[in-house]
Amino acid sequence: MKLSESRLRVPIAIVVAIVATVISLVSAASVREGVAISLAFDLAIACATALSLPDLKSRHPVVSRAAFTLLGLDVAIFITFFLNSSTNFNLATGAAMSIVLLGLSFLTGASGQISLGNGAFMGVGAFTMAIWANHHATTPIVLTLLIAVACGALVGLLLGLPATRLRGPYLAGMTLAFAVAFTFILSSFSSWTGGDSGLQLPTAAVAPRWLDGFFHAGTSPLTTTTLYITDVAIIVAGVAFFFMANLFASRTGRAMRLIRDNDVAAELVGISLPRARVVAFIVSSAYAALGGAMLTLIDNSVSPPTYSFALSVTILSLIVIGGIGTISGAVIGGIIYAFSTNVISWITNQTGLNPQGNFASQLNGIIFGGLLILTMLFAPLGIAGAARQLWHRVRSRTSG
Amino acid sequence: MDPFLTSRMVTDILSGLTNGVIYGMVALSLVLIWRSTGVLNFAQGAMPMFATYIGFALLSYHFSYWWCVIACVIAGVLIGGLTERLLVRPLYGKPEINPIVVMVGFLIVLEAVAAAIWSSFPRSLPGPFSSIHWQLAGKPFALSPFIVYEIATGLLVMIAVAVLFRFTKLGLQLRASAVAPEVSRLLGVRVGRMLTLGWMLSTVVGVITTILLSSNFFSGLTPQINDGIFAFGFIAAAVGGLESPVGAIVVGVLLGIVNQFVTDYVNQNAVIIIALALLVVSLMIRPSGVFTKPTERRV
Repeated sequence: MKLSESRLRVPIAIVVAIVATVISLVSAASVREGVAISLAFDLAIACATALSLPDLKSRHPVVSRAAFTLLGLDVAIFITFFLNSSTNFNLATGAAMSIVLLGLSFLTGASGQISLGNGAFMGVGAFTMAIWANHHATTPIVLTLLIAVACGALVGLLLGLPATRLRGPYLAGMTLAFAVAFTFILSSFSSWTGGDSGLQLPTAAVAPRWLDGFFHAGTSPLTTTTLYITDVAIIVAGVAFFFMANLFASRTGRAMRLIRDNDVAAELVGISLPRARVVAFIVSSAYAALGGAMLTLIDNSVSPPTYSFALSVTILSLIVIGGIGTISGAVIGGIIYAFSTNVISWITNQTGLNPQGNFASQLNGIIFGGLLILTMLFAPLGIAGAARQLWHRVRSRTSG
Repeated sequence: MDPFLTSRMVTDILSGLTNGVIYGMVALSLVLIWRSTGVLNFAQGAMPMFATYIGFALLSYHFSYWWCVIACVIAGVLIGGLTERLLVRPLYGKPEINPIVVMVGFLIVLEAVAAAIWSSFPRSLPGPFSSIHWQLAGKPFALSPFIVYEIATGLLVMIAVAVLFRFTKLGLQLRASAVAPEVSRLLGVRVGRMLTLGWMLSTVVGVITTILLSSNFFSGLTPQINDGIFAFGFIAAAVGGLESPVGAIVVGVLLGIVNQFVTDYVNQNAVIIIALALLVVSLMIRPSGVFTKPTERRV
């Protein structure tokens, strides 16, 4: 019975896909829109069908992860077409932030260490992006992004090399010192970094012409551009997510989890502790730099006050609340970041606080700091961990 | 009269000493907590900041400076003790990052609540002594009555801590519960109480530092007053060795002097960059710190 069920899945999916294609082609306002919507549906159906196949995950884990990523990207991008510009802009920053959170989550999940300087590493990426784009305007954006990532990795190597050799809180302390120092580093090199006012990108990222066709006439080019940049950010985050999922599951990832749980055992089976820790830290710095560079791309500019110590603390709060050491925690953290400003101003309105008052302006810190403490004390794996626990409980109850 | 005393080098050394004493005390308070509870207290700057705000709230009721100082110390004792009991105690034996994260959260909350109650505008505290520099033969000398008071207080605190740990029964119990909690418990030492006491002591050292800082610097008392100072304090503690109180103090004082030279001969921005570079280099050469003997880790 079960076997035939799983055999039937593929033909059923094909039929559903054909029906969806026909419906969307017929009901869409233009041919172009119809093709796009049906493509989105078909891709989602294909990925979902692939994921539902029983032994895909065990036999071809990489394919399964790719299908999962594609499905997520497909759904997310489809949704962005129905959102207004400001929500999309929030989502774009959230996507950039979730890249940073992925890196930090990997560092902690893999080596049991923590960085308090990922805001500064974001800044390294953000400023490298802006500086390079201002000096070499002809370099393709993808290459500039990679240069920013390389710079982040290099600084990570420099700081991680001494700190990761030591047990104890050295990495946390040193990255804190780096985060505090970063503002001063920026103003020391003000001829490059643009001093207090920061830098503008020489050419703004503009949506390609074909995207206009998906909108009703009269949509402002700004809306199109925001949508474009949001989708680019989501795709980059998806690629980062895919790589990270593979890294977590790889031999390196497993070795690193062993280090986190029992470093003595890890050394006994021949894993080089310092090397693994440095690699984890470099990966986390590189991811932070990529997130920062994406933020520059989204904002079209970069300004020094963004990359203060407070940002590093925010990053830590987000990943802890989302679920430190997990990949889904990074995605949850990114979504929280995207909408935190809206939620907090909503709370301010509901409680009737004076929005210009002392209390309202500090609400962000009070809420995030409080959640950070409560999460660590009562649910150390954050929302992702709590959800997983709940899921296991529900499943064990229903199955027996 | 004597040009040597007003020369650039002597001025730098003496001004550096002022900051150095502050860094030394912050480093000392970090080492105290690290040695006794194995926690690097990231709220080590914020807890005393909060206590200082509470204590100096008495100023508006026309209490004198010294009454405010006493109030600050009492607030520090309470905050330190309560923090250990409520926030840190549930985390003993948990992974190393848990206390780090909780204390960072506490740092955010304290800074935000302080800014919500007292605003983030700098509040200048009165000093008990004049901070106008003495003149020597028409040239400004690096010291003022306030600076002498500051350095003397710092030295006094350090000596008091050293005496407490080395020559008193309480100090012996504190050290014993840090090094061998199980054995101490068997020998009748109230280990839990000792840990709480360690946190109280460390917060009081922090409170004294913060009071000195906020009446000395032009910046005054702000919720973020100790963020930068914490970074320097950590650098001093890590270079000296997190296990070594003497190392923390000595390196802290030296770091203050080095910083003053950097400020004078390079610029203000370079100070923390050079300090960070010093930390990187020192950890490369001598990972466990200049003042601690390298020990093997037992499995």
